[in-house]
Amino acid sequence: MIAASVTATALLLAFVTCACGIVACALVSRTKVAGVVAAGGTLSSIFLMLASGAVLVSGRSFEASLWVLEGWGRFTLRMDALSSIFLFAAGVVYLSSSIFVKTFSTTRPGNREAARRFGVMYFVLMASVVLILIASDVPLFLITWECMSILCFLLINYKHRERADRSAGYLMLAMSEAGFIMVLIAFLIVGKSAPSLSFPALAAAGSTLSHGALWAVFTLGFLGFGVKAGLVPVNFWLPRSYTASPSIFIPVFAGVTLNLGFYGILRLNGDLAPGSYGTGLFAIIVGSVTALVGILYATTESDMKTMLAFSSIENAGVIVAGIGAFLVFRATGHAVASAIALTAALYHMVNHSVYKTLLFQGAGYVEAETGTRDMDRLGGLSRILPGLSAVFLVGCLAISAVPPFNGFVSEWLTLQALLRSAILGSASIRIVFALCGAALALTAALAVTCFVKAYAMSFLGIRRGTWGPQAQRNAHAPFPLWFLAVVCLLLGVLPTYIIPILNRAVEPMAQASVTAALVPPFFTATATNQQLPPAFLQDFHNLGAQSGGAVLPGRGLVVLLRGGEQNPVVFAMSPSYSLIALALMLFLAWLVISRWTRERAVVRRELWAGGIPRLLAEMTYTATGFSNPVRVVFQAVFRPNITEDTRQTVAVHFRTAIRRRREETPIVDRLFLRPIRDAMAGVASILAGMHHGRLNMYIAYVVGFFLIILFLYRVT
Amino acid sequence: MTVVSSSGNGRNPKTCLDDLIAAVLDRFAEAVSAAPAGHGYAAGFQLGHPETLRSLCRFLFWDQGCSFGGIIAEEHPSHWQLYYPFLLPGNGWTAVSLRLPSDATTVPSISAEVHAADWHEREIEDLFGLVFEGHPRLGDFILHDQVWHEGIAPMRKSFSANQPHFERQPNLEWRPLLVVQDPGAFAMPVGPVYEGGVGESLHFLLETVGEDVVRSSPRLFYNYRAVEKIAEGKTINDALLLAERFAATSAFAHSLAFCQAVENIYSSRVSSRAQQLRVVLCELERLRHHAAAIAAICESTALAVSASQAAIIEEHLLRASCVFAGHRYLFGLNIPGGLTRDFDTQACTELLNATNKACTNLLELEDRLRYSSSFLDRLEDVGAIDARDARDLNLVGPIGRASAQSNDLRRACPYSGYERYKFDVPCESEGDGYARLRVLFAECVQSAALIRQGVQSLDAGPVRIACDTSHAGASIGWVEAPRGAALHWVSIDGLGVIERYRAITPSFNNWLGFHLAAENFAFQDFPIILATFGLSATECDR
Amino acid sequence: MSFWFWYGLRKGVQSTRYPFGPETAPGISPGRPVNTQFESAAKAGAAAGICPVGAIVANDRWALVDERTCVHCQRCRLELDVPIDWRPGYEWAELPPNRALYSPLPRPFSKSLHIMVVDAGDCGACLHEVKQLNNPLYNMHRLGFFTTATPRMADLLLVVGPISENMREPLIKTYEAMPDNKRVMAVGSCAINGGVFGRSFMSAGGVGSVLPVDLEVPGNPPPPLAILHALLAATGRKPLGTPEFAEAVPISKPAEWKPSGL
Repeated sequence: MIAASVTATALLLAFVTCACGIVACALVSRTKVAGVVAAGGTLSSIFLMLASGAVLVSGRSFEASLWVLEGWGRFTLRMDALSSIFLFAAGVVYLSSSIFVKTFSTTRPGNREAARRFGVMYFVLMASVVLILIASDVPLFLITWECMSILCFLLINYKHRERADRSAGYLMLAMSEAGFIMVLIAFLIVGKSAPSLSFPALAAAGSTLSHGALWAVFTLGFLGFGVKAGLVPVNFWLPRSYTASPSIFIPVFAGVTLNLGFYGILRLNGDLAPGSYGTGLFAIIVGSVTALVGILYATTESDMKTMLAFSSIENAGVIVAGIGAFLVFRATGHAVASAIALTAALYHMVNHSVYKTLLFQGAGYVEAETGTRDMDRLGGLSRILPGLSAVFLVGCLAISAVPPFNGFVSEWLTLQALLRSAILGSASIRIVFALCGAALALTAALAVTCFVKAYAMSFLGIRRGTWGPQAQRNAHAPFPLWFLAVVCLLLGVLPTYIIPILNRAVEPMAQASVTAALVPPFFTATATNQQLPPAFLQDFHNLGAQSGGAVLPGRGLVVLLRGGEQNPVVFAMSPSYSLIALALMLFLAWLVISRWTRERAVVRRELWAGGIPRLLAEMTYTATGFSNPVRVVFQAVFRPNITEDTRQTVAVHFRTAIRRRREETPIVDRLFLRPIRDAMAGVASILAGMHHGRLNMYIAYVVGFFLIILFLYRVT
Repeated sequence: MTVVSSSGNGRNPKTCLDDLIAAVLDRFAEAVSAAPAGHGYAAGFQLGHPETLRSLCRFLFWDQGCSFGGIIAEEHPSHWQLYYPFLLPGNGWTAVSLRLPSDATTVPSISAEVHAADWHEREIEDLFGLVFEGHPRLGDFILHDQVWHEGIAPMRKSFSANQPHFERQPNLEWRPLLVVQDPGAFAMPVGPVYEGGVGESLHFLLETVGEDVVRSSPRLFYNYRAVEKIAEGKTINDALLLAERFAATSAFAHSLAFCQAVENIYSSRVSSRAQQLRVVLCELERLRHHAAAIAAICESTALAVSASQAAIIEEHLLRASCVFAGHRYLFGLNIPGGLTRDFDTQACTELLNATNKACTNLLELEDRLRYSSSFLDRLEDVGAIDARDARDLNLVGPIGRASAQSNDLRRACPYSGYERYKFDVPCESEGDGYARLRVLFAECVQSAALIRQGVQSLDAGPVRIACDTSHAGASIGWVEAPRGAALHWVSIDGLGVIERYRAITPSFNNWLGFHLAAENFAFQDFPIILATFGLSATECDR
Repeated sequence: MSFWFWYGLRKGVQSTRYPFGPETAPGISPGRPVNTQFESAAKAGAAAGICPVGAIVANDRWALVDERTCVHCQRCRLELDVPIDWRPGYEWAELPPNRALYSPLPRPFSKSLHIMVVDAGDCGACLHEVKQLNNPLYNMHRLGFFTTATPRMADLLLVVGPISENMREPLIKTYEAMPDNKRVMAVGSCAINGGVFGRSFMSAGGVGSVLPVDLEVPGNPPPPLAILHALLAATGRKPLGTPEFAEAVPISKPAEWKPSGL
């Protein structure tokens, strides 16, 4: 009860704060809008985190009914554990983004003309995101979804008078609408045989759908929500929109609205209308392909924002692959495996929100300090901006799945979940799992390349651009980035506490508890633990595990994953232990070096570059050069069109310039956007034949159509 | 492989030269006058005014098929004198000579028409300060702009060679001139202290966009010792030391060219025994140099056993040279008028045995290499220069002959009695690394054959005839050095002291073509292309 | 591929016995002139006069040879009526004149020495002789000497050439990039005092004017065995100044030539 009232109060306060924020932004002077956004956004995100935290901790979901609309039904709200997880992640992102708006605006004293517009839309977007996540019936869900899409478009183009190219926003809007229509149809198919359009009623109806209807619902819902989530056939709007959106909006865009796509998929296809294992396979394959395509383009991209956009696509692919694994395992009856897969997907979703927001904020600061986003023009920033360099490094390490940060845990869990396909019966499913697992492993390797390039080419080395003296030496990174970096570390070091929290959402959907599977309390008493066979436990305790329980703090610091009943095989991973061990080793090494090598001084000499007078920036590797091998190896994917343009003064050997123009269309554009567009244009040009301007023919059309209607009326 | 045999090209030499002179005078009636033979040239053309220089050089190089020798610039108190030697194969050297008033600062550039003149003009601009109008890229050649400031012109008479070292600050604003302008292109620096192991000082900027090298620009002259400048004011014998030692792996050849120039000035005779011994020693040097080049090629492809075997052959030849002539690199043998020492029959027989053995071993090595597909994979189609580019840039030596430029001074303009020998000039047409390797092996065989002919038919007689060095004069001397055609110009004043010394070396001519071979290749092929080119930076730098 | 392996084995071991025994093959060293007592002071003066680089100084009836300056032009044994004495040998390494003491590289380096070779205007002969040390006939690897590509891993800097001015800065940078406990060896007469190029605006006249030199190897070029001896001396495995095996090497004698027309 207390929890419910806490949740209700917190939610109400969050909405009230948003409303106050809207009013305040509309009224205060332009220069104060950033402060209002920061204050209001922080407050309301704290309330959101409180509300969702209360639900997660207490385990009871929150429900409320709102008013009834004629013909639409009753609007209901329901915040269960799944919504709470998404809401908590959104709260974290909003907290740091709101403060980011303030601190970023102070570094960039641009004109504030559109500031009020931005502030108002910011709070409205926050409210609609919250409503999407807690809506419990179709009309409210769809209304707020549409609201969110339009607000995203408006926020991307909020400085529309200054910008020349607004096409990215329009493309996003068009794709959002297409996705919305698909989602609408999916919901209607499910709700055709349901008494009302509330989610519980749909869940009941969903279990009675025919096979064909289920496939239709799945495809439409998956692709419709996939537009927002950034999946392969429908994600060609994402890189353009991310690149075009302003720096103060992009953290929210990338950290919150992307997750709404996953929420929709989980809600519709995981909860309301669960499909067969075929749908899960489809999801895995789409996820793996998305991940691979995303990281390939990210690695070869030299614009920092576009690279991060493609990296978001990659992470979305990983999450969806986890969701697909969850669907397959659940449909084939392996509850524990499905729970692990869903945990991996949710964990990765949370992690992605945190580190992607961090990276985008970092990229925003880089662009503000140096004026360019092109990694070919950056370099040497760690000397000028050491604090930013440190947090950006944390973000890069986290996204490359390096322990002790959070990416490692979720990446490990996802790959382990895919490896558990050994328990499946059908060989063809196992083959699909194996191939997709291989694709994800390749993705992980390319992700490391991509972010090594991103960090090294931007922050290390010699400065390549001409932005030098203006950039102030800014030793400290702003608060929001530090906050997110600490969250990354905590999420990475404390998985044994996060997993039980995620279990609240996973257990109802997968019908199995993941806490017991992944984080068993084996350090404690032997007999009470039913999950592990006693013989195994005895052996383990003979090795001294009991003493560990006395020495090491916390409950079960090791995450275990074991094999079957007959031969328990343990795969364990403990970021917390690793961090402690790492700290200990570094300390010991420092101790040894400082005590025993006192007389050896470290001499710093000039960089050895073959004896040339000075190593110039033109002589160091650029981002394009670093990633060129990837471009060459995967040439079949990129299919570039290279034209050589050589300008020569006199003859063949007096060349003064060699320029090779390289034109590439991304593979998704090539394979999906272009054919659709050409088909549409073809159809439109055929139909345009009807519009020839002759009044007589138009009248003939009307008469003819009228006759057809009469005929049909007559016949039926 | 095509072979230019010793039967000659069947044309009457004198007629061809006369035809040439007639054609030139016919075409450039007013502007050009024929000069009499002299200074070692078989013919000459005197230009009335500089504007016809370009069209005359184009006519000679392209229409008449002459080969370009270089540019020789001299500063006299009252005027500038420029010589442009051209070689009509089989007919000797023809010089276009241009005289400019001493206050002239510009000369029309002929690089647009005769591309081979590119680096010659850049060198003269750097060292003399004469600007060649119309040349697209002057400066930053010998005296690197990053380290030397403008306007030094060390070859001018007013500049003293004995200036002590003066502190120079590197120019912080200097930027390399990059050709590749793709976004994200960069230039990887290699050198000057670079080669893994033991190598000459060279600097390259390898321009790339990441995977393969689009263009490579060599920056040479790290070994520049201003030999031409410090030779001025030295006696002939002292300058002979310089001529011998600026490029020690072709020491005998360059000293021979110097001595021939001096002998030509004083019209002194060289005995036939001396000529034959000179041929034997030249070919010995060529054989040893080619063995070293083959060893370097094998080493660049990391075929260690064959590299070691080739190096063993080279070391045996070095030892044979030491036993025969007293010095491993044949220093101290040439002198104007002949040789400084004589060789008895037994020594010659030992030398013949040693060279025959070396030749046999080399042929065995070649036979084995031909079947090493991994080795050939790294050489075939790597660093190719086609025949048209080779003609365009006037490549000489084994590199030129691998790209169908069959000019060999021993055949085209015989010296030291070469016209009496039977030998072939091997030629290939692919122009890639493997073609150069085949040319090197074939020339080794020919050198061994020449040594055999020389040793077995040595005339009796003195080996040195004293040279009467009493008056002033100037002349060119030429030789087919192991790397190609070398041309030396020696000008002596009335006191027997060198007034101007110019050495045009084959490496200088061939380095110009290096960037054509080193374009659009992978990084790993770079040392192989460098080794198959086999050029010497120190011979180019002087 | 296995062919080359067997081919190499068939060719057998061809490495020289030096330093564990004398090397007696002909042609391994040109030898060099030594102090000679002539019959008269005039003949000694003639010997001093014929040397183009001033390496021979006449002192009464003695012609004293400065080995560091000799450039092996062979004029003193080919162009004099009474030629100067010529001694075979190859153990020529010595200290620079202003140094009394040399501390060789100690234990770990002496069995595993990494050499950085820098060409600072060399004519090609000294560099070639250094290159010959890697071939099987001399095989310096068996003695623990290796060449490196980067000065960061080098213990000994081996410089050839008279130091052309364009190479002055790269050479200094190379020296500074080497970690401490390093030695500098000047190989060849050019590296010692400029050789035939001397000092000019473009030639520094030897390594000594740019870097501190620890060991010198005279000769033009010094044969590979001389460089090997110098490396052994640099690591303290052979003493300086007392050649062990020098006498055993035969050298070629020039044939008689009769001047005509003089």
